[in-house]
Amino acid sequence: MSVAQIAGGAVPTVAKRAARRDWLFRGALVVFGLIALAALLGPWIAPYDSSALYVGPVNGASSLAHPFGTDDVGRDILSRVLVGAGASVFAPIVVVLLSTVLGLGLALTAAWFGGWVSGVVARVVDVIFAIPGLVIAVLAVAMFGKGLVAPVVALSIAYIPVVARLTQTAAARELGKPYLAALRVQGVSSLAICFRHLVPAMIPVVAAQMAVGFGYAMLDLAAISFLGLGQQPPAPDWGSMIAGGQAGILAGAPEQSVFPAVFVVITVLAVGIIGARVTLWAEEKER
Amino acid sequence: MTHPILEISGLDVFAPGADGPRQLVFDSTLSVGRGEAVGLVGESGSGKTLTVRAVAGLLPDGFTTRGAIRVDGQELAGLGRRAVRELRARRIGMVFQTPRAHLNPLRTIGDFLTEALVHVAGASPADAGRRARALLDEVGITDPDRRMRQHPGELSGGLLQRVMIAAALAMDPEILLADEITTALDVTTQEEVMAVLAELRERRELSLLFITHDLALAGAVCDRVNVMQHGRIVETLPAATMRRDATQAYTRTLMAAALDEAPPIVAEAGTAAPPILRLEGIRKSYRLRDARGRADTLVAVDDVSMELARGGSLGIVGESGSGKTTAARILLGLETADAGRIEVAGEDWSRPARGGRGRRHRAKLAQMVFQDPYQSLDRRQTVEQCLREAIRVHRPRAERAALDARIAELMGHVRLDPALLGQRPRSLSGGQRQRVAIARALAADPELLVLDEAVSALDVTTQVEILTLLDTIRRETGLALLMITHDLTVIRRLCDQVVVMRQGRIEEHGTAEAILDAPQADYTRLLLDSIPREGWTPRRRRLGRTGSLATVTRSTVIPD
Repeated sequence: MSVAQIAGGAVPTVAKRAARRDWLFRGALVVFGLIALAALLGPWIAPYDSSALYVGPVNGASSLAHPFGTDDVGRDILSRVLVGAGASVFAPIVVVLLSTVLGLGLALTAAWFGGWVSGVVARVVDVIFAIPGLVIAVLAVAMFGKGLVAPVVALSIAYIPVVARLTQTAAARELGKPYLAALRVQGVSSLAICFRHLVPAMIPVVAAQMAVGFGYAMLDLAAISFLGLGQQPPAPDWGSMIAGGQAGILAGAPEQSVFPAVFVVITVLAVGIIGARVTLWAEEKER
Repeated sequence: MTHPILEISGLDVFAPGADGPRQLVFDSTLSVGRGEAVGLVGESGSGKTLTVRAVAGLLPDGFTTRGAIRVDGQELAGLGRRAVRELRARRIGMVFQTPRAHLNPLRTIGDFLTEALVHVAGASPADAGRRARALLDEVGITDPDRRMRQHPGELSGGLLQRVMIAAALAMDPEILLADEITTALDVTTQEEVMAVLAELRERRELSLLFITHDLALAGAVCDRVNVMQHGRIVETLPAATMRRDATQAYTRTLMAAALDEAPPIVAEAGTAAPPILRLEGIRKSYRLRDARGRADTLVAVDDVSMELARGGSLGIVGESGSGKTTAARILLGLETADAGRIEVAGEDWSRPARGGRGRRHRAKLAQMVFQDPYQSLDRRQTVEQCLREAIRVHRPRAERAALDARIAELMGHVRLDPALLGQRPRSLSGGQRQRVAIARALAADPELLVLDEAVSALDVTTQVEILTLLDTIRRETGLALLMITHDLTVIRRLCDQVVVMRQGRIEEHGTAEAILDAPQADYTRLLLDSIPREGWTPRRRRLGRTGSLATVTRSTVIPD
């Protein structure tokens, strides 16, 4: 509907204009595009089976056959990075989407109704905020068992307060503006005002927050995998690969940890740059 | 050898642009003699502010100038940076439009005034304090000791503007650059500030470069007036004879007197018909906290009653804080009245409509145009989307062709070029935006249109266009107008009935001629006297004159 329409119309044109000006932003878009492509096609473009043991030497250095080297059980690191990209990139996206939808819903409810409703929402948000995200994740894993679902759900909940607080302030400020009063006087229904006018007004703030949230989610998920609570072996993901490579670092074969770590850093940086540009654009638009 | 204190000759100002610098001010030439007051008048975007800012060295980054600026015969371009800064600090004082934006809300007035004296002039804190108090006294602020300890939030706009003038005088400048210093103030406050300036000029031999969009005001307080349009000074006139001497059509347009004053149309005599709007004993109070955090009650609207005939036009006049806007918001259901009865077209509107159906029904009867067209339109919507939405609310199942026809019709009503349909508010001028807002309000074919200061944010020429437009629409459609304004000249053009409000209460009501030509209430007379016109001299209202009236800028706060 029109939310998507406005997002589809306004955001890319400005993004396009910014892209023409800004090589850094353009580079970040390209890098993120490539990583997303790898995440989508990982299993098909990987040169080796990511779980196959001893396709190369143990702790092998970079070579033509294995550009990123091989790990402690002789698996091809490039293949594992490519296959692991799926879980490592899409899990944070799900976290960001879920937390944004839930947080935005809470924030709009609070800002719209005000009074005791906003009080209740504020307390709920405070309670969630008081518990560190990683602790919620560990608790969820303890309850639902290991795997990707538990940490993703847990982090989605853990990120609600940040989204909710940010958007509630923005929504409350927007609600005070005369154009929304003008719409009420015109007889436009509350739902239409909310979804056709208020939500689009939140897009810049929310988009910037999503980009930042993606970086945090990726690092947090990598940390959870690193603790051994996320993606379970032998299925690869960047966090658990970094964890698995600890011994290798001491043994003088850092490839197993370094390459996935580099990808974590590159992805977070790319999304961060994109997010920073969206924030800048949002500020320009608010002039 | 006597030089003019300030001389600008052939000044061009360029803004940086993507494809080379863009010229905004063209060959601007003016001079201010010692002790002289010179006005620089023009509408927004005419380049008047840029011209002064060039003198004060306050142009935005990347702006470049050409031409000469001489202060007391000294060419600014020929001096070093230090000398220029020194010259600007000690010989030029500047006062801006919005004093509140230039004061740190967390520091006291005393901090603000003494800071420059201590850090720039190197005075001791005790000396600086004494001097600051003397300055406050000089600009007519009573009880300077107490003011020194107060924060900007505790002072009214008029007082703050005087504080800014006092601060500008701290270095004993020879010329004061005043950029729209009274634009944000009520007429009565404007008169006080102007009176202070007039006194200062007499006492200090201060020269004044007075920038304003109000030609009548400039004519009343200046010796000479420069009229600026599209970055060029089109005419320089002696203030005393400007009405006769003006040769430029633009100058004539700026003079409100030059406008044709069509007599307001009188509502049909059928007094038997029930009025479209009747307010009875409306009261609204807000709970708030005072400076010390104690609970207080602010009575915004107090026992207000009025009536508006079908097809009639009623003006509500009052200064800021008089409750006129609150009354309108209550009427349209944006606020709930504490007590009283609202009747529109025979229906009881005392409570805001609940639910979408009720709101849509009321929207067909009464619509509102808001003060600031920059904020009352959704900046993400194009003109077409905005109008389409307004029409769709009432005709959800209309065909696309019918909607398009109605949009075209509305654009015709407000005399807007259909080519603007694809534009967003950002790329429209203030007048165009307000036309869109009016078209949107007309979309529902209402019987009553409430205009809340609908022209006060616009330039004079645009104001006239919009008022003429409203008058025409009223004649064509028989729409009843409720016009809320602080500007009595707007009332004269458009209204047949007037209500004068002050501090939430009605001071006086009657026909427009009666109120404007033979006012009964002291307060109405004060408002009328404060309007700048030919032969007007600003006066400090002494207590003897306004003693019966409490300070107008303060709201009525009664203990809870």
